Amino acid sequence: MLLSYLKIAWKVLLRRKFFTFISLFGISFTLMILLVLYAMFDFTVGPQTPEKRVDRLLFINRLGLAMPGSDATSNPSYSFLERYVRPLRTPEKVSISTAGGSTVAYLGNNRLDLDERFTDAEFWQVLDFDFVEGRPYNESEVRAATRVAVINESTSRNYFGTARGVLGRFVEIDGVRYRVVGLVRDVPATRRFSYADVWMPITTSAEDIRNPDYLGSCIAILLARRPADIPAIQREFAQVVAGAPVPKLGGMAFKEVRVYAESLLTATVRDESNEHGADAGVGRLVGIVVGLALLFMLLPALNLVNINVSRILDRSSEIGVRKAFGATSGTLIGQFLIENLFLTLLGGLLGLAMAAGMLHLLNGSGLIAHTQFGINGRVFLGALVASVVFGVLSGVYPAYKMSKLHAVQALKGGTNV
Amino acid sequence: MIRHLFTLIWNRRRANFLLVTEILLAFVVLFAVGSLLVYNQQNYRSPLGFEYGQVWRVTIDPGSQPEAERTATLQQVVQRLQSIPGVQYLAYITSNTPFSGNSSNTDISRTKKEGASIGVNVYGMGDDMAKVLGLSIAQGRWFDKRDDAGTRPPILLSQDAQEALFPQQSAVGQLVYNNGGEYQVVGVVPNFRADGDLASPKPAIFRRMSLQDSSFAKLSSFVSGFRLLVRVQPGAGAALERQMNTEITAIGKGWKVGITPLSKQRAAQLKKVLTPIVAMVLSCVFLVVNVALGLFGVLWQTINQRRSEIGLRRAMGASAGAISGQVVGEILVVTTFGLVLGLGVAAQFPLLGVLGVSVGVYLTAMVLATGLIYALTAICALYPSRLAAGIHPAVALREE
Repeated sequence: MLLSYLKIAWKVLLRRKFFTFISLFGISFTLMILLVLYAMFDFTVGPQTPEKRVDRLLFINRLGLAMPGSDATSNPSYSFLERYVRPLRTPEKVSISTAGGSTVAYLGNNRLDLDERFTDAEFWQVLDFDFVEGRPYNESEVRAATRVAVINESTSRNYFGTARGVLGRFVEIDGVRYRVVGLVRDVPATRRFSYADVWMPITTSAEDIRNPDYLGSCIAILLARRPADIPAIQREFAQVVAGAPVPKLGGMAFKEVRVYAESLLTATVRDESNEHGADAGVGRLVGIVVGLALLFMLLPALNLVNINVSRILDRSSEIGVRKAFGATSGTLIGQFLIENLFLTLLGGLLGLAMAAGMLHLLNGSGLIAHTQFGINGRVFLGALVASVVFGVLSGVYPAYKMSKLHAVQALKGGTNV
Repeated sequence: MIRHLFTLIWNRRRANFLLVTEILLAFVVLFAVGSLLVYNQQNYRSPLGFEYGQVWRVTIDPGSQPEAERTATLQQVVQRLQSIPGVQYLAYITSNTPFSGNSSNTDISRTKKEGASIGVNVYGMGDDMAKVLGLSIAQGRWFDKRDDAGTRPPILLSQDAQEALFPQQSAVGQLVYNNGGEYQVVGVVPNFRADGDLASPKPAIFRRMSLQDSSFAKLSSFVSGFRLLVRVQPGAGAALERQMNTEITAIGKGWKVGITPLSKQRAAQLKKVLTPIVAMVLSCVFLVVNVALGLFGVLWQTINQRRSEIGLRRAMGASAGAISGQVVGEILVVTTFGLVLGLGVAAQFPLLGVLGVSVGVYLTAMVLATGLIYALTAICALYPSRLAAGIHPAVALREE
């Protein structure tokens, strides 16, 4: 049954090639744009290198001091994280690093812009970097403020002119020479809590790690033993924060410290939105994005509906015959929906291919440093879901219209729409 | 004739409902993107008010150096930088440097009491900044040594700030109030748009920034360091940059220095602002092409269905021109229905004034979108109308 429907669908598609082209153009481009956006989303907050175990990770990246009518928000300071996050009992590991900054290395008379990050040794255990050569720096090196660095492949190429065999050589950053101990694959700049070109021990930074202020320029990454432990960690951290004294800053009497341990998605949104409510505006953002995506699909869907209605009128005599031989409205609606889904899935496949090409172009354009956007299982699934939604959205009304055709008039080839 | 067409379409309103909705949506999309483009283009065309070509921004982060020692070290740094041959002028500036994306806002008013105040960008700048940024002075003067002895702190206004506060008169010599402080206006400069080429114009005020100021050192701990703008000799490049970097770190041990040409920052900022706009325009182009193709297909199909009707009209003596005129006319009437609804939606924006954009921008966008939609539908209808005109009455009527 299904097979014969598909055969009919295929024949119908071949019969009016221009209509098929219009439909496929609309579907595939719409899905391509949605897929590109989804892939970018997935490569920003999904389980990718170095946050492969993203379901076990929590991030603490913003700290707000609030009082009625005024507030100050920034990254938390090293000392705050050391005092209130490091001793937490529920996480397996806690890593503290700087929020990232940029620096310049001079090679002769050329300048090389580098993004730097100072981290502790746990950073390399909490996250999963792909080491090409060498190793991360360890705890004793961090404690002794040894001048060692891990660099990525691009930096190695730009600085040494080669992407291999640079261990033991020196990079000079801010007038200080660091020995390269490890070489990792490039991390996309969209990974804002782990990305850098050069990683160095936090004890070698100019950051004043003894400054007792709460506001500073660090972040903490927490690794849970199991994904199920996440709520327990958040609860423990909330308790600790509630017990922390509220500091004074510039003579302002703050009433509350707002800082949360949260998922990569929430932390990323918070980094952008700078909100310091418990939700960080994720709910609102999701609402807006879903609404915009639907709105964006609406126009091509309407277009498809229009074309589908025209197509059905074209086939009115076929429908008349089927009705005259006793096909129910339900059967006809079913058949048409399947035909339409077939069309949109075909469009989805095309869209997927175009999205892959588009992402490849984006990677090559260097718009965002070191991106390796691509199609993975989740994006493929997204394409499938979007195609089905699109197919149903654009198929229901024409199918309903089709089932309403009167057999007699339809046989005559007339239309009553 | 036109009335007749309206009646025809109105009678088939159920069948045309989807087309009208599609045109309505297409119009709204074009209007939104058009408003955005017109708005940005307007901003892009208004002058920045300063020259950024040979200017570098120097960021200095004193790191863990105690606050008390910072100003002394900075003074040495500045003297050393001034002695480098490639450096022409340099001056201090607050963290909201041009094209940086940082901003600092405040309210100023003519009276001590609250009320009648306007929101402005506030910049702190050193005495040589007028030379560094090539600022032209419209009235009065820039900050100089005379301000050391002044009883009230000096302040400069931008042209639009003066017009808002002192309409039809000169602001020089007047007093303005900000956060309870009293300032004396010493000069007026043309509109200053350091927020960037595409940012909306905003009035600006300038405060004097000098090392004698007690708040100066404190500032560095809040905004992670000091900032200087340096005008360099034309043609200066990485060699000078490296020299400045080593000179500064030689004096300030453990200081972190960042040197960026303003032109580079401007390019980075433009890229950041333009990327989403370009993506949006591309999506919009795709949507419009999609709508056009769909419209074309539907019209083509309609012509096929109405062969007998058209054949009959031809048989009754209608000319080919009259037939194609009818097809194009009909689709333009459908478009008009969609556009009237769309204009109804679009008119809400200037009426409610939700986004604080001037009415002119919306009107231009409306005119553009309306023209584009009419042109698009007319082009889409052209080929089907030729097809309809080519129908031979004898063939069409025999099919019946």
